[in-house]
Amino acid sequence: MAFLELKNLVKRFGATTVVDDFNLDIQEGEFMSFLGGSGCGKTTTLRMVAGFETPSEGSIRIAGVEVASVPPNQRGVGMVFQNYALFPNMTVRRNIAFGLKVTGWKAAETERRVDEMLELIHMGEFGERYPHQMSGGQQQRVALARALAPRPKILLLDEPLSALDAKIRGRLREEIRAIQRQTGITTVYVTHDQEEALSLSDRIVVMRAGKIEQVGTPFEIYNRPANAFVASFIGTLNVLDAMVMDSAQGRLLVSGQEVVAAGPVPAGRAVKLSLRPEMLSLEHHPHHENRLRGTLSNVIFLGSIVRLVVGTTDQDLVLDTFNTPRLALPPLGAPVSVGFPREACLVVE
Amino acid sequence: MKRQRRHALRQSGWAWLWMTLGSLYFLIPLLATFLFSLRGKKGVLGFTAYAKVFADPQFLQTFAFSFRMALLTIVVGLALILPTMIWVHLRATWAKPILETCSLIPFVIPPIVLVFGLIRMYGVLSFTLVSSPFLLVAGYVVLAFPYIYRAVDAGLRAIDLKGLTEAAQSLGAGWGTILFRVLLPNLRISLLSAVFLTFSIVIGELTLAVMLAWPAFGPYMALVGRDLAFEPAALAILSFLLTWGLIGLIQFASRSLAGQGSALGGTH
Repeated sequence: MAFLELKNLVKRFGATTVVDDFNLDIQEGEFMSFLGGSGCGKTTTLRMVAGFETPSEGSIRIAGVEVASVPPNQRGVGMVFQNYALFPNMTVRRNIAFGLKVTGWKAAETERRVDEMLELIHMGEFGERYPHQMSGGQQQRVALARALAPRPKILLLDEPLSALDAKIRGRLREEIRAIQRQTGITTVYVTHDQEEALSLSDRIVVMRAGKIEQVGTPFEIYNRPANAFVASFIGTLNVLDAMVMDSAQGRLLVSGQEVVAAGPVPAGRAVKLSLRPEMLSLEHHPHHENRLRGTLSNVIFLGSIVRLVVGTTDQDLVLDTFNTPRLALPPLGAPVSVGFPREACLVVE
Repeated sequence: MKRQRRHALRQSGWAWLWMTLGSLYFLIPLLATFLFSLRGKKGVLGFTAYAKVFADPQFLQTFAFSFRMALLTIVVGLALILPTMIWVHLRATWAKPILETCSLIPFVIPPIVLVFGLIRMYGVLSFTLVSSPFLLVAGYVVLAFPYIYRAVDAGLRAIDLKGLTEAAQSLGAGWGTILFRVLLPNLRISLLSAVFLTFSIVIGELTLAVMLAWPAFGPYMALVGRDLAFEPAALAILSFLLTWGLIGLIQFASRSLAGQGSALGGTH
């Protein structure tokens, strides 16, 4: 039995259906991310689990107990908000102790638990500070400690890193994952940032327009996207127009050149061929059965990666290559040939 | 460079001129009243008028009565308006414009109309209701509503009301805990200004007290103003000092609370 079960969950605001027939099982100790663009229903789903929104239909079970009609303060669910929501009138210690005091922990136990939490977030010396005396990253760590202190059954994080700058975001992301592993708490993480979802999660739910598009491990989502939406949403992707020549043998025609996919492709005339930029190369490799000829039209320097844009007769494709000392690029406008293995071909209708 | 400096100088010159004119407009009548209030005894400047005011037992009696009414108005007004406004801000944002319009009504409807409305309405029900001080307090709450509304509204806008409430809820807090341990401490400054504004309105209020026949401070001041010469000036200066004292107190409280680390401007 799953630890958190969401069954046929529906949420309507007036005539708009924001979450539509959402079904998901989350195992105990799992780190699950809800990933999607704005308005896809990910936050609404999270807020239904927290109890801040009442589902229009469906059930929410935590450890086998139906909680859809239980008020949020009795659900035993910890929540971390995008804008921290620390109590401005309380010190860090009092913020962390808040949940313990209201749920009747004894004073000595509360003090011990607060110390434990401060140690967990490596902020022992900040106990007497007020929220406005700390940076955003520090405030969010305190918010995490405050949510974890009363030992909730589930931890919910609603875009907790969105308000922080890139460097702190990366560091805090690792810290959140380490703390989650250390405490073993079942976690649901809402984000619109695919990199965050891919690097943190055990599994990811990709959502669009209130519906689940795919549930899978980061590896599955990235390498075997269920449909064109997931494929284009996660990572950079070349989507090329192609014509099917032989559906059984996976033979396609792309910009007048033949490409062979690893398996049979859907029958029909026009399909889309998706290729990840990192699967493509200008160098010759024996296992690169496919080659597309074109001219080098742009070079974009991204630090550790150099992104090349190659134009065929009628469409562009981008390819990524590592920025190594040996990297020798042809001049712009030079004819090049892009190689890739058959397995790199993702064909969708 | 030179031209810039001349421009800046001219700008600040104008600023000083307008500020001086504004201050004079405000200060000259006040000074005149103060000087007039010092002439209680012929030929000497002194505090005779003030001594007379303090010696009059009615002064203290009426002030004490209005003080009690002010406290009651503050308690009833806040108990009624604060939870309503929190609820509207959190759960019924659609009702905000309605509340906003209601808060302007006391400015539009003169107190004399309000008081006759109250007498007509409650006089029909029973005489005891009209003669009870609660009707006066109810009227005062209506008069203070715009001020309490605006002060509390500013406070609620300055904090992350939804975030703080939900954070407290997810930590297991009920509505009582949220109100008294999370929201009220973060609304202290705006509540203080609501309290002091209400206080100064009630202390000087005339129409309701006269029409409902209560021995309040407002009617007393009017009476003194009609019958005597120097004492009303002394009273005016006293009530001015009282009001400014209260405003100073708000300032002092906001500064010392801010220094304590009670952030006033949200959670960021």
